[in-house]
Amino acid sequence: MKTRNLSILLALLFVIAGAGFAAAARAEGEVPAPPAIGATIEDFTLPDVDNKERTLKSLAGKNGTVLLFIAVQCPVSNAYNERMEKLAQDYKAKGIAVIGINSNVAEDAAAVKNHAAEHSLTFPILKDPGNKIADKLGASVTPEAYFLDANNKLVYHGRIDNARNAAEVQTPDLRNAIDASLAGKGIEKSEAKAFGCSIKRA
Amino acid sequence: MRFTKAILPIALCIICTTLAAPAQKRKGRAAKASKPVVVAPIDTEALKGLLTQERKAPLLINFWATFCDPCRDEFPDLVKINKDYRARALEFITISLDDMTDIKSSVPQFLGSMKATMPAYLLNVPDPEPAIDLIDPRWQGSLPATFLYNEKGEMVYKHIGRVNPTELREAIDKVIQKGTKTPAGK
Repeated sequence: MKTRNLSILLALLFVIAGAGFAAAARAEGEVPAPPAIGATIEDFTLPDVDNKERTLKSLAGKNGTVLLFIAVQCPVSNAYNERMEKLAQDYKAKGIAVIGINSNVAEDAAAVKNHAAEHSLTFPILKDPGNKIADKLGASVTPEAYFLDANNKLVYHGRIDNARNAAEVQTPDLRNAIDASLAGKGIEKSEAKAFGCSIKRA
Repeated sequence: MRFTKAILPIALCIICTTLAAPAQKRKGRAAKASKPVVVAPIDTEALKGLLTQERKAPLLINFWATFCDPCRDEFPDLVKINKDYRARALEFITISLDDMTDIKSSVPQFLGSMKATMPAYLLNVPDPEPAIDLIDPRWQGSLPATFLYNEKGEMVYKHIGRVNPTELREAIDKVIQKGTKTPAGK
């Protein structure tokens, strides 16, 4: 009996130590690796700002989907508000859907909803409690973009463009990727480092 | 009476000195605190030059931004490290990835509030990717990021995320000891 209790205690200690190690690793800013270009992104379900469950499948565009990790308070993400909305408007008729995802633990659904209204963001924005999808996609900053083709295959991952200041944009990488995909051409640059504020994970 | 006459100027002198000293100290402190922090713009080429130039001391670079919470949180540790190692042949510079419009406002304001005295730069590039790749192709650009180079310009330590001061100090001690056979005391 004593041996059994000791075994249970040891097992518990092991689990606690393991959890502590995982937390420490996360505290160091480690982000899970993103899926490789070409990987299929499985369907997922997240609540929208009205707490209504939405699936990737129900929101996806017939020719592709852009997932944008965005924030309420990040000045870099906010510098892209107009560009993100324009992107959604420009590509709507071309069968490309834009979905925003907010994974920041400190920004609740009400804050995300107010922010969207304040900045006239009309594309759907989902809340990612426990940064489940950010972890699955290896998203580390805001803004960070993922472009999935019509078959939900990841074809572009990274920044929206090269410059925080809209007037200095030289390489609209995300638009280039979408345009190439719509034209049935290969995407020249399928990865570009996203620059912005770290996602505040749970 | 004669005694009082003799003592009075001495007593006055002591009182004046006692009163004046803290005032001077206050004035000195105020002058020190009000010294504006100057942040210089740096582009990819200049950064390359900085990394490849011949140097007599190891180089520590911290990339940060005012919008980055862990960057702000770790700054007091960095200021202390700079203070402790300044006399021990360590070059320490900070490079902000804030917007150029912040170069005369929020960036120097924050550095001033931290009493940071290390040379401060702001990355002034239309595209940060080449600069990020120049530092480390495996670095995704997430902040904060801290890199330590030895005198030959080889990267000997890097940390993405908030620094562990003990770990960073150990890395600095190691590179200083390797570079100089007789390291100077603190």
